[in-house]
Amino acid sequence: MLSYILRRIVSTLPVMAIVALFVFSLLYIAPGDPAVVIAGDQASPEDVERIRQSLGLDRPFLIQFGSWVWRILHGDLGTSIFTNLPVSTMIGQRLGPTLSLMMVTLLLTIVVAVPLGVVAAWKAGSFIDRAIMAFAVFGFSLPVFVVGYVLAYVFALELEWLPVQGYTPLTEGFWPWLQNLILPAVALGCVYIALIARITRATMLEVLQQDYIRTARAKGLGQGGILFVHALKNAAVPIVTVIGIGIALLIGGAVVTESVFAIPGLGRLTIDAILRRDYPVIQGIVLLFSFVYVLVNLMIDVTYTIVDPRIRY
Amino acid sequence: MSEDLLRIDDLHVSFSTRRGMVEAVRGVTLAVQAGEMLGLVGESGSGKSVTGFATTRLLDAAGRVTGGKILFRGQDVTKLRGDDLRHLQGAAMSMIFQNPRAALNPIRAISLQIADAILTHKRISKDAARAEALELLRAVQIRDPEARMNAYPHELSGGMCQRVMIAIAISCNPALLIADEPTTGLDVTTQKVVMDLLADIAAARGMATILITHDLGLAARYCRRIAVMERGRIVEEASPKTLFGAPQHAYTKRLVAASPTATSGIEDLVTEEERERHAAVVSKPRTVAAHGTPPLLEVRKLAKRFDQGAAAVADFSMTMAVGESVGLVGESGSGKSTTSRMICRLIDPSEGDIVFDGQSIGHIASRDFHRSPFRKDIQMVFQDPNESLNPRYTAFDCIAHPLMRLGGMRAGDALRQRVEECADRVGLPLDLLPRFPHQLSGGQKARVGIARAIACRPRLLVLDEPTAALDVSVQAVVLQLLDRLRRENDIALLFVSHDLNVVRMLCDRTIVLRNGGIVEQGESRALFENPKTDYTRKLVEAIPHIDTGPVLAVAL
Repeated sequence: MLSYILRRIVSTLPVMAIVALFVFSLLYIAPGDPAVVIAGDQASPEDVERIRQSLGLDRPFLIQFGSWVWRILHGDLGTSIFTNLPVSTMIGQRLGPTLSLMMVTLLLTIVVAVPLGVVAAWKAGSFIDRAIMAFAVFGFSLPVFVVGYVLAYVFALELEWLPVQGYTPLTEGFWPWLQNLILPAVALGCVYIALIARITRATMLEVLQQDYIRTARAKGLGQGGILFVHALKNAAVPIVTVIGIGIALLIGGAVVTESVFAIPGLGRLTIDAILRRDYPVIQGIVLLFSFVYVLVNLMIDVTYTIVDPRIRY
Repeated sequence: MSEDLLRIDDLHVSFSTRRGMVEAVRGVTLAVQAGEMLGLVGESGSGKSVTGFATTRLLDAAGRVTGGKILFRGQDVTKLRGDDLRHLQGAAMSMIFQNPRAALNPIRAISLQIADAILTHKRISKDAARAEALELLRAVQIRDPEARMNAYPHELSGGMCQRVMIAIAISCNPALLIADEPTTGLDVTTQKVVMDLLADIAAARGMATILITHDLGLAARYCRRIAVMERGRIVEEASPKTLFGAPQHAYTKRLVAASPTATSGIEDLVTEEERERHAAVVSKPRTVAAHGTPPLLEVRKLAKRFDQGAAAVADFSMTMAVGESVGLVGESGSGKSTTSRMICRLIDPSEGDIVFDGQSIGHIASRDFHRSPFRKDIQMVFQDPNESLNPRYTAFDCIAHPLMRLGGMRAGDALRQRVEECADRVGLPLDLLPRFPHQLSGGQKARVGIARAIACRPRLLVLDEPTAALDVSVQAVVLQLLDRLRRENDIALLFVSHDLNVVRMLCDRTIVLRNGGIVEQGESRALFENPKTDYTRKLVEAIPHIDTGPVLAVAL
């Protein structure tokens, strides 16, 4: 098992290398000369040239890339052109809120979507099934920002149950922290819940057709035992896969959600960096997100082997 | 007389389908006494399994009992609800199924699956249930049961999985066990071991058993009483002796005739009334190749090794003459399918050579073989006609495809004519050609598979268990068809099968494989009548035979 995980980690290295090359090339693909941007509006051509040299932008591409990778491997993501702060510091400051939002959303999604899907599959064709699937279509169709504003209007402005916007760190208490995250998490989770509920239902329907479910019934097992012990675990592999893919969705959604609810997270940082053409920051964030995604995929692969003994590693 | 353990009274079961309600069981009446083993025999679609599922209350959601009663110990099973039903299922009455590997949860250790059943019905601790599970594994004679406790179904053979299923079924000492095709898909030797075990356990525990099967021979060997079902009704009920000696109902007669026995030939597989029609075909003699002509196929020292494992096939050599039929038999894992696939050039041999019509074809990589002119000459009929036809191709497309790919024909009248010719050749009605596989019966699909294989007029046809998934009456027709193709078109047949009776009838020569090597080979009839090795003898003895000779005398 351990050697399998190690082998998987090694096999992600080429992926990370390609991602790094792509991220670094952003600087060259994107329109606008970074040296000009950094120098500002009033700079003379000489100023621009000086900045270009001091940043090493005049050296050959591969050398720049090599020294960039070297610095990243030593934990140096560069310095923001705009704030002059190290990129790693800036990301570190914004990591907490985004991570909190994603964790809460993920947890909410799994807790809500999987049972919904199981019930829908169990009662397939019934009113309950149709109601759940109608809700899923609804969840799919509504954009995050619409759901976000509606939720904020109803629960924060009208009912005043929850705060409208903002973020409180976990260090200031669990409830204040959670209170601020409920609405964003629900807004962000809508699509995700719909997706997972549908996949759970489809997979469960297939599993419930299998011979071993009939065996379980023949043993006289109760409905709960059949659904959760025998069926759900067999349905787990596709569900886990989609949850993993969904984390990529979540990253994109987090950017929008953080804007709607004014959460000072990575999403906001991303938007700001893009607007300011703050390339080192953009590179740092994209690299981080890619890294997280590769890591999630690794975790999914490991989960497969735990869930299904037939998968050899 | 004591009361019947199970009494089914005028049972009707219907399924709701897209085309409305379909009645699967139409008035079955049946009684089972305690401790008795009853055979319920019929072909697919006869309603035998549905009757079993209705009794154990395991019908699909679409199925419903629409009439009649199922009295188990005087209590109507069809009316049970909730806890009463659960006390019945798995405890008083249990069931084992066809395809044991699919019937076990693939991701749950077998000890847990046995313990599930125990814990559902008994108030004991998990440790005690585990101990009982171990005892049950011993009872079903699984070797090294301690080590097998934590095994998963994919780590066990089919026969072992069925033993585990039996262990689950008997875990709560049921009074009635319904075995639905318990050994279909298992090797003959495994079938014998599993059935013997089941019969012993049933006798030792005084458990009544209903053996649902399509195999008359199997039912005859283990049951004192056999009920024959056709289209949802029981058409005849008798002891095996009377049933085989003097069948009353027309359907039973046909079924008895179609079941291959130790002595029957291809021509015997139809009832006497139908034999007239067939006689004309049989009378055409087979052309025998003159001595000295080079063989059609020569295989030299063929071997196949998969990744790190031991050789699946080693040192396999054989020759085949034009129009000859050779049987390749052996248990699962003997390498017979691997060998046939290498000869078909679907997989590459690790060593050895294959010479077809004087030319070496063994070195052509299997993925390039479709470009070889020999692809047309060597064709294959696959095991399961349900799985091996593309569900989106009509029967016409299926047969036309090789003609276009290999025969270079274009869509048009010529192609249509050729396809219709092929369909006609295999006895497929032309109005079925626009149908998709799901709209065809098993026998019709088998015909499409054969028509596809012979479309390009091959000289060698490799058949991998072509009748394993078919009913005996359909099997009889398919075997006669293959025999006719061989006689009339001089197609050589390499017939891979675990069914020795079928091989004996169809093949001139037989090769017995075990663990990837040839154990014995020779002229079929001699080989089966007088096996030289213990292994072949074991295979031959395991076939459940219908002993018609002496029974006939008694009946007269």
